[in-house]
Amino acid sequence: MKSFLRHLNKLRWLSLSIVFSMLIILPFIHLYQTYEAAHAYDLLTPTEKTISDTVEALTSPFVKDPDELSAVKGNTWSGTLFGLKLSDPLAVLGQIFASMSFYWAFIVTALIPVVITLLFGRVYCGWICPATFIYELNDNLAAWLRKAGLPVSRRKLDRRIKYIVLVVGLLLSVYFGAVMFGSVYPPAIIGREIYYAIALGGFGAGAVFFLLTLFFDLMVTRRGFCRYVCPGGALYSLLGRYRLFRIKRDVATCNDCAKCNVVCQFGLDPLQDDFGMECNNCSACIAVCPTDALSFTVSTHDVAFQGPGHLGHKYRKAHPDVNTSETSVQ
Amino acid sequence: MKRRNFLQYLASSGLLAFVNSEGVQAAFAPSIRYLRPPGSHDEKKFLSKCIRCGKCGETCPNRTIKFFSTENGISSLDTPYIIPREQACILCMKCGEVCPTGAIPKIEYKAEPIMEKVKMGMARVDTNLCLSYQGKTCGVCYRACPLQDVAIKVGRLEQPHVLEKCVGCGLCERSCIQIPQAIRVIPKYQG
Repeated sequence: MKSFLRHLNKLRWLSLSIVFSMLIILPFIHLYQTYEAAHAYDLLTPTEKTISDTVEALTSPFVKDPDELSAVKGNTWSGTLFGLKLSDPLAVLGQIFASMSFYWAFIVTALIPVVITLLFGRVYCGWICPATFIYELNDNLAAWLRKAGLPVSRRKLDRRIKYIVLVVGLLLSVYFGAVMFGSVYPPAIIGREIYYAIALGGFGAGAVFFLLTLFFDLMVTRRGFCRYVCPGGALYSLLGRYRLFRIKRDVATCNDCAKCNVVCQFGLDPLQDDFGMECNNCSACIAVCPTDALSFTVSTHDVAFQGPGHLGHKYRKAHPDVNTSETSVQ
Repeated sequence: MKRRNFLQYLASSGLLAFVNSEGVQAAFAPSIRYLRPPGSHDEKKFLSKCIRCGKCGETCPNRTIKFFSTENGISSLDTPYIIPREQACILCMKCGEVCPTGAIPKIEYKAEPIMEKVKMGMARVDTNLCLSYQGKTCGVCYRACPLQDVAIKVGRLEQPHVLEKCVGCGLCERSCIQIPQAIRVIPKYQG
């Protein structure tokens, strides 16, 4: 079981990569569908012909009719997956406030994401969000810059800022009568902008905003947008407050090496048993733990600080009588 | 409250009310003539329902639907629009099928429901530009119309007359051979 959990992080990267590459593939599929609908292959430019040929070669073994490719459409903000319509809960909440009405056909599309969030917390942020894919790479870039001697700031801000962003966004949605989150919510922006860039020939205004958030993460604080600003993150944090599946430290096998604290991009403190609402169950800390002290547990609350790890210096100094045969685990 | 603060408050709220007033808003409103996807509600309701997911554009087989950046104001950011002269709607009704929020309602792909529910605008002929009205028989707009003799009919020398049933798809404007075009779709929000 433990050895399986260590590989969860790789599985997560696989999931992130699949989502992100789908966002790039889908616009090409749409282009191919429009070329097919026009019945004018001979009139296409050489580039368009290349796109058409490539997509056809890749998809024709699986589907006969290009129309069937519409089974997967949209992006993580709202999309169709083999007939199943899924929407971001933030989109639903924003739309309820903007239109001041309940459109149930739309609200039920957020049901599955909400249930998953109630069980697993901010799992969307860690496992699916296409912005996370870029933000995590951006964080690796920050580590490189730091190694090269450039100043990369890791300020601490107030976690509650994002709840203010969420509330202000909802109020603005009511005031303008339009869903305002779509333009400041990175996964929605990325889904759209990739489509604009591929199918409509250029990035829109959202790309500029997204670049700014990347700089914010580099220059102000680590993964700052997700932790302190993102309204979707705020909503998921609230929904996942009493999540059932959470990471727990086993104090008997912990050796206080603090690798988990370093690897946690959300700046949480697994060493102090502090996961809280922010933890997105990304399992990077489980993968990095040398003594397999971290694992998943079923509980609605984090445990209180259990004291220093039993394999660490601090604990052994305080309890010299304890048999240290366990230390040979290392 | 000090008198100065009170006066400042009064001035700023007056300014805000002035900026928000209808006349000023209308004066600064951008003058883009665009259509919303077929079947959309009126502009205000459409904006409040649309979540800007972009699926309508991703489904449109004719690549008709484009998306606003900031040119039509912040509340229109990333919403779908159609410029009929560039690419007109072929009334396939696929955007309504995929729209998750009902901003573009689902309409059956049949003549009666489309004629009944779709009203993107209304075509208008400029008789000073139209070739048929200048004595050169043309009739291209009539032949481009998907609802011939229902939405548009032709008279002497193929002179087009737009009828009440016009749904405003814009195929006539797209096909007009005059430059600038002699027939235009006037969006329904422009009355």
